[in-house]
Amino acid sequence: MKLLDIQARCDRVPFFRHLGFSVTEVNDMQILAIMPFEQRHIGNPMLDTYHGGIIASFMEAIASLTVLGDLNSPPPKPVNLTVDYLRPGLPGTLNARASILRRGRRIASVETTAWLDDEGKPVAKGLFHFLLV
Amino acid sequence: MTSTKDVEKSAMIARMWVSQAKGLISEMGLVIERADQKGVQLRMPFNPDFCVDEAKTILHGGILTALLDSTFGLANFLAVDDIQTMATLDLRVDYLRPASSRADVVVFAECYRKTRHIAFGSGKVWFDNGDCEEVARGSATFAITRGKGSLFDTMKKAGPSA
Repeated sequence: MKLLDIQARCDRVPFFRHLGFSVTEVNDMQILAIMPFEQRHIGNPMLDTYHGGIIASFMEAIASLTVLGDLNSPPPKPVNLTVDYLRPGLPGTLNARASILRRGRRIASVETTAWLDDEGKPVAKGLFHFLLV
Repeated sequence: MTSTKDVEKSAMIARMWVSQAKGLISEMGLVIERADQKGVQLRMPFNPDFCVDEAKTILHGGILTALLDSTFGLANFLAVDDIQTMATLDLRVDYLRPASSRADVVVFAECYRKTRHIAFGSGKVWFDNGDCEEVARGSATFAITRGKGSLFDTMKKAGPSA
């Protein structure tokens, strides 16, 4: 799938528009995306940091895109997720990479990383399972 | 025994938490149904912006994850009297069925164990649509700091419009 096609699909999803991310790179096994910081992403009102749920949602969104069959197929069904929060989600553009660990006939596992400036210093890491049938 | 003072403090913390909310928590339009040291129950009205389909009938799982994370936060705040800061260490969510309803979402979360440095939370999410089938369950651990100058005092000083 091409980047522009994936972005067009994202633009049709109300919650993805709410997150406001853009897909920047796509290949068979990986997707990269960036999400500019918005007031509506704040979780902690004292520190103005990202809401943990927004970071998890951003990672889940791009994880699901990596295992999308084709552009017209229904979205993969999320089964569960685990997220480790490693550093504070300070205000700033958030980057995320989702990589397919394994794609079986029924189940797919996708690993994600989110970071601010340095991919080597991730803000969060996630592991997502999807049902493909 | 829970004293009247504890009940009042819990209610005050919950009110402050909602009135001082910014960003996602205010977008979610949460209504407090229960808030005490044993647990927190919140109601989130249906919001088409949180949907995954163009017809706006199915909520994205991520918003349920966010709702659980938020509710754990408030539950910790109420359960740990002298909490100063908290940071989510990890969060696990199981999506039990598709979130295909326009009914209000209800979440219950509790801090079921607290230590000097860690708080453990558990919660569930269901639709208020009659059969109340669970759509998600979650658990999380939080790194907390405790001591004088609690979060409660800081928020009280910040006032309702901070």
